[in-house]
Order: sequence, then structure tokens, then C-alpha cells
Amino acid sequence: MSAPLSNLRFPGLDGYFYPPPSDEYSLDFAPVGGLPGSDPELLSRQLLSEASIDAVVLLPLTRGLLPDVDMATEICIGTNKWLAEEWLVHDTERFFGSIRINPADPDRAIEEIERWADHPQMVQVAVPLQAHQPYGQRRFRPIWDCAAHHKLPVAVHADSLGGNEFWPTSVGYPIYYLEYAAQYPINYIVHLMSLIAEGVFEDLDDLIFVFADGGIDMLFPLIWRIDSDWRPLRSVTPWVKRSPVEYLRDHVRFCSQRFEGPLDSRERPQWFDAIDAEHLLMYSSNYPSVAFQSPEAFANAPDATRERVLGRNAIDLYPKLGAPIPRG
Amino acid sequence: MAIRACRLEELPPGSRKILPAGRFGIGVFNRDGDLFALANYCPHDGAPVCLGAITGTTESTGSYNATWLNDGGILRCPWHGWEFDLQTGKSVVSPTKVVRTYPVHVENGWIVVED
Repeated sequence: MSAPLSNLRFPGLDGYFYPPPSDEYSLDFAPVGGLPGSDPELLSRQLLSEASIDAVVLLPLTRGLLPDVDMATEICIGTNKWLAEEWLVHDTERFFGSIRINPADPDRAIEEIERWADHPQMVQVAVPLQAHQPYGQRRFRPIWDCAAHHKLPVAVHADSLGGNEFWPTSVGYPIYYLEYAAQYPINYIVHLMSLIAEGVFEDLDDLIFVFADGGIDMLFPLIWRIDSDWRPLRSVTPWVKRSPVEYLRDHVRFCSQRFEGPLDSRERPQWFDAIDAEHLLMYSSNYPSVAFQSPEAFANAPDATRERVLGRNAIDLYPKLGAPIPRG
Repeated sequence: MAIRACRLEELPPGSRKILPAGRFGIGVFNRDGDLFALANYCPHDGAPVCLGAITGTTESTGSYNATWLNDGGILRCPWHGWEFDLQTGKSVVSPTKVVRTYPVHVENGWIVVED
């Protein structure tokens, strides 16, 4: 092969599609001889010490929307055990975790939630962004009911691509990673619309969904469209008692993504206002990805916004985090 | 100011007339013998609301549960489908948005609207 294409990652045997131009995870976050993000001690040093973060909520990914339902569930069960036994024990004050479940297997998903709900460091349930049905649909309701009962938020994050998902767009296959990466996480809006339109938030007061893959910068333009449709279409879904935008503060949160917001940092203060960052946004590091973002990214946010994004919103959302550790 | 709309026989139950009165016209409706008069102007975007369908609406006690009610008492705006209560003129979804209503009565066999 000749340059420049010879410089791109060569397709593997199992799936290639849209490889990122470099590795997904940074070697900066790998211990010697190990994989990025595989060492609790290193994570502790890099995030808790060097980046001055007080507490971390770990969200491990699984292998995607696997057609083998039992396999997908077993991977969740194993991941939760592994997280508890090899990570959460490392620091019982500052490491927190997510309960992975397989939404396609509701009975066993509920079992997993029940198994870990009272663990002092498990603060949320985690599901893939990918799904064969939007998450507001009725087969998933018992799962969210269980999560809400335990006051555990449900975090949604794009999972690995090992499964048989519908993908990547409704207008065909783009070619370059550039076209794919920017729009893929925005599919959260389909889940959000579904949760609103099927009355899930209306019925479950304590249910909060955390869209952990970014996308808050697309939220309001999309909600405005949904709101203006809701008014004439009210009689079709009369169980949607509030206008869609009114569900956001009580039921939806977002994690920050490095690739979001205006490119000009001088526009960021207004931007934080426009996206209601103070109420909806939580800082996320994306460790150990190359898309790692340090809390410094919020340095020039207005004080009240920064305080909420960097800590207060998470503390309010995850009571097990406890009081913030005062920093000298 | 009293406006004579028409003779009562000219507006049988289930029918409507648009009068060239008021700023935008006034729609007079006969619902099963009850008369209503509304301004032909939608508070949402200015549509000729009185040209819309007469229908009912839904309410709900929970997800997927919808009961049909007020059949014949709801005016749906032809432009964006907003529902208005024929009697009060209030929008179902946004009750602070109101189509102006006018008192209407029958006098000597004539339907009279008070502007």
C-alpha cells in the first residue's frame, strides 16, 4: 500500500467501519506493560492527585448490543463483580461505580440492580446507548421502575461496537470517522423523546437519566422542536402532562464531552447559560480515552456554574458521594 | 354592539357560520342547540381558527391510557392543530392562550352576538 492510506489503521478481521485515527485510549493512562485504564493506582494518581479530582464515578463499558442475550447479561454480571472486587475496594472513600445491566434482559437486569443497589459505592445503573428499541418503550419500564425505586440514576453511554446495532444513520453509511463520530452520540435524543412521550418521567418521579456521552449542546435546539410539536399533538399522548422542556431539570443530566461548545473560549460563559449547564451538566473526564478532558476546561466558566458542573450537580445526583472533601 | 347573525333555522345543530364582524370575523356555532361565538383568530399564530374541525379531546390517568371526552366541544385550529374549548375559548394545552368569545343569545328567532 502507498501513503497516505498506508498510514491509516488496517482493517481488522472482526469489524472496522470507523476506526478513530489513533487509538481510542491513550498510552499516557497505561501502566508499564498494561492497557490504558487498567490500573487503579495509576488512575488514583492521575485523577485524584494530579488533576485534583475529589471522587471518581467509574463507568466501565461492555461489548455492545450482543445478539446473544445471555452472553450480554453474563458480561454485565462479570463486569460488576470485577468492578467491585478490583476497583471499588481500592479506595472506599473516593472510587464509585456503575451497575452494568442488559436492558434486553429485563428480569436479570432487575436482579443485578437489586444485587448491587445497597453497595455503598455503586451510585448508578449503566446501559448502552445502542438499543433495538428506544428506552421509553414499555418492555423496559420495569427496569427503570426498579432503578427509580432505589434512587439510582441510569447512565447511558455508547458501548463497544461488538453487537448488531442499527447503525450508523438513517440516510446511509458515511465514509470517514469525521462524519460518524460527531453525530453518533446525539442518538440519545431518541431515547429522551421516547422516555418523555411514553410518560416514563411522568410516572416515575425519582427516575433520572444521565446521558454520559455528551450532546448537551444539541439538547435545546432539539427540545424546542419537540416542544412545539407537543402542543398541537397533546391529545395523542395526553399522559405527557408537561411540556417536554419541563422534564429536563428533574429527570435528565449530561456528562461533558471534550468536543462540545463554541470553539472560541470567550463565548463559553454565554454558552453555559444557553445550555442550562448549571442544572444539567456534570464534568466527566473520559479517562482513559484520548478525549480526556481535565477539570481545567471549566476554568473560565462563571463561578456558580463551575461549582455546580465540577461537583455540586454530581453530589446532588449521587448522595453516596457524601460531603465534598475539602481541599486546602 | 349587538350583531344579528342569522335566523335560528339557518344554523341547525352541528353547523357554523362565519360573520363578517369584529376585527377578524366571528364564528357562530350550534352544538346540540347550545350557541357559541368565537373570534376567528387563533392566539397562537393568527389563523382563522373558526374554520377548524369540531371534535373532542383526550385526558389520561397514566401512560398509554387515554379517555375521549367533550366530543363536539373542541375546536381544532386548522393551521397547527391547537385545541380550544368551544365554550370558554381556552386552549387545552396552554390555558392562558384564549380565543376571544362573545355572548350570544336568541331574540325573536334571530341569533344575536354581542361584540
